[in-house]
Amino acid sequence: MRLIFTIAWRNLLRHKGKSLVIGVILFTGAFLMTLGNGVISGMAAGIEKNIIDGFMGDIVLISDGQKTDNILMNMMGSSIEPINSYKEIKKVLAAQPYVRSYLPVGKNLAMLLDEKTSTPGFAYLIGVDFAAYRKMFPDNLTVVEGNYPAQGERAMLFPDSQRSEFYNFYNIWFLPEGGKVVKENLSPEALADIASLPVSSSVVMLGMTSGINSTSDIRFPIKGIVRYGALNKIFGHFCLVDIESYRECLGYFTAADMAAQVPKEEKKLLGLEGSDLDSLFGGDMMVTAYKKAPQPIKAAKQAVKSAEDGTYNAVFLRVNPGVEYRPALARLNGALAAAGTGVHAVPWSKASGPIGSMALIIKSALFIFVTLLFCVAVIIIVNTLTMSALERASELGMMRAVGAQKPFVAGMFLCETGVLSAVFGGFGILAGIAAVRVIPLLRITTDNDMLQLLYGGNFFNPLLSLSGVALTALQLLGVTIAAALYPMRVAARITPLDAISRD
Amino acid sequence: MNIIEISALRKDYSLGSTVVPALRGVDLTVAEGDFMSIIGPSGSGKTTLLNVIGCIDYATAGSVKVGGREITALSDRQITDIRLNKIGFIFQTFNLIPVLDVIENIEFPLLLMKRSAAEARRRADQLIEEVGLKEHAAHRPAELSGGQRQRVAIARALVTNPDIVLADEPTANLDSVTGASILELMRRMNELEHTTFIFSTHDANVLKYARRIVKIKDGLLEKEPAAA
Repeated sequence: MRLIFTIAWRNLLRHKGKSLVIGVILFTGAFLMTLGNGVISGMAAGIEKNIIDGFMGDIVLISDGQKTDNILMNMMGSSIEPINSYKEIKKVLAAQPYVRSYLPVGKNLAMLLDEKTSTPGFAYLIGVDFAAYRKMFPDNLTVVEGNYPAQGERAMLFPDSQRSEFYNFYNIWFLPEGGKVVKENLSPEALADIASLPVSSSVVMLGMTSGINSTSDIRFPIKGIVRYGALNKIFGHFCLVDIESYRECLGYFTAADMAAQVPKEEKKLLGLEGSDLDSLFGGDMMVTAYKKAPQPIKAAKQAVKSAEDGTYNAVFLRVNPGVEYRPALARLNGALAAAGTGVHAVPWSKASGPIGSMALIIKSALFIFVTLLFCVAVIIIVNTLTMSALERASELGMMRAVGAQKPFVAGMFLCETGVLSAVFGGFGILAGIAAVRVIPLLRITTDNDMLQLLYGGNFFNPLLSLSGVALTALQLLGVTIAAALYPMRVAARITPLDAISRD
Repeated sequence: MNIIEISALRKDYSLGSTVVPALRGVDLTVAEGDFMSIIGPSGSGKTTLLNVIGCIDYATAGSVKVGGREITALSDRQITDIRLNKIGFIFQTFNLIPVLDVIENIEFPLLLMKRSAAEARRRADQLIEEVGLKEHAAHRPAELSGGQRQRVAIARALVTNPDIVLADEPTANLDSVTGASILELMRRMNELEHTTFIFSTHDANVLKYARRIVKIKDGLLEKEPAAA
């Protein structure tokens, strides 16, 4: 073995040009793979952390009637099914020792109505109890202008990235109530128009759902402009509103409630008096709590003793640290089903839809890219080594003539490729590790949605895992063997007679 | 005792659809410890004969026994083992391993035999001294003259104490003085190590060194001329 290694090593030094060509290919492949794995790991960890810690928790409860598990960024018009059994759900959750905290939310799409141009725009609404939201995600939001709404106050927290987009769209700069234009926070376009900047402290939203035709346009007073702690560009599509306004906007009252607003004389004209309007608009979308006593909206609000009586679309849930995730999910689903809550639990990765699976998609793409790179590398290395074997036929044939068996000659080629892989590939891995360590120190940020996803947060933070390095090393080993196989065969088949014939 | 016994040896080469006979029924016996020369013009079949004896080429027909063992039906692995353990080679173009220095080239066959590094080095040191290259032990082949390289090849051929050393025109690429010194050395090693030497040549001046001369022409052995 020492003899093989000595000859292989000296041959590599003797044919420096070829060694360098092969080495550079191996270095590049190993470097890209290590860095790529670091980027993917960082992205996966970042997305997981930012979504779990800052947006939807570990587990999300959704209605059994929900067609897809994705509730984060679903297709336009595809609404999230309502949940009307929060009280029962709460009892189940309170009995689960592994549940740390939970937050019921309303979440759906709304149309922003511009009173001047009538041009609609769109935003996601998240209806919450603001205090409960801050308790659940304490570090997620920063108020950059205005304040948090007071307890029970009807209000909206408007994301700053959305504000810039809507300015470009509507030419209105949204401000919190009583707020002034903060020059530093203006977008470049708004800054250019600062002399005549049209401002507004409220926004009119019309709820959009696919199943309910009784949504309302609601004017939301803007109490604060907020910035999300991470993935601000993506989460910036979500406006936080109080849950009661959200329900009104989305029409989460029974049809009888809506009918109750029609004056009596008009009801007579319409022939609706005394009829059960629920049966006309029946379905799970309606708040069942109000079905028995249809009342005008104001009265209905009084009838709702607490916000928890009303409709939600999901419950975000955190589990205790160290809890095994899958068994907890299974136990929770069992408990929810047993209690007949009509909801089930899904992991955050499924509930966040394409964002949750982005890591896997990009990982697969990177794997395919690096595999292609290594395939090209294998072809180049095979060609170079085969040429080398044929050029050295005289030397190899002479070795065979003096008694070297075929495995010795083949082993020499394997060793040469192995040494190149170990040296150049090893340096490639080390360079990749160094790059992964250095990049976070540069604090590279982006405002681009896709790049934020790739970064897994607001700044590029690749993360290296041992499995990532092991995967690269394994791929290098595969390349080494694949690249050496054919040249080994060619070299081993060189006979002493070939050596003599060449002379 | 005969170290080589050849009977009715035929070797044909196929060149497309044409079959070229290189050896056309050779019968030969070589005694142990002999110092024999095969002479003949170019294309007479002397290299082919050496190659078949040295297990480098296969016979088309006939029998070849080396050290009493029939070699015509052996596997590649067995044939290689015979080359390693029984036969030493000296090639016309001093085929040495370019990345190994002189001493490493000489000990190379011993390391293939899995001898310990110390034992291999001891034997290589002994031979390098015998061929007069001790001061060049650390030199690479590219740093040696043709004669020096051929001396290294002789030392490497003898390092395993083979039964037979085969040399195919060992002086062809050397000047007459160097060639003579190489033959002197081979002769001396033959006497010193009692190894059978068979070398081919078409140089009449070389014949004086041989104790036995076998002449080959058109693939057939002729009457043996008297040894010098």
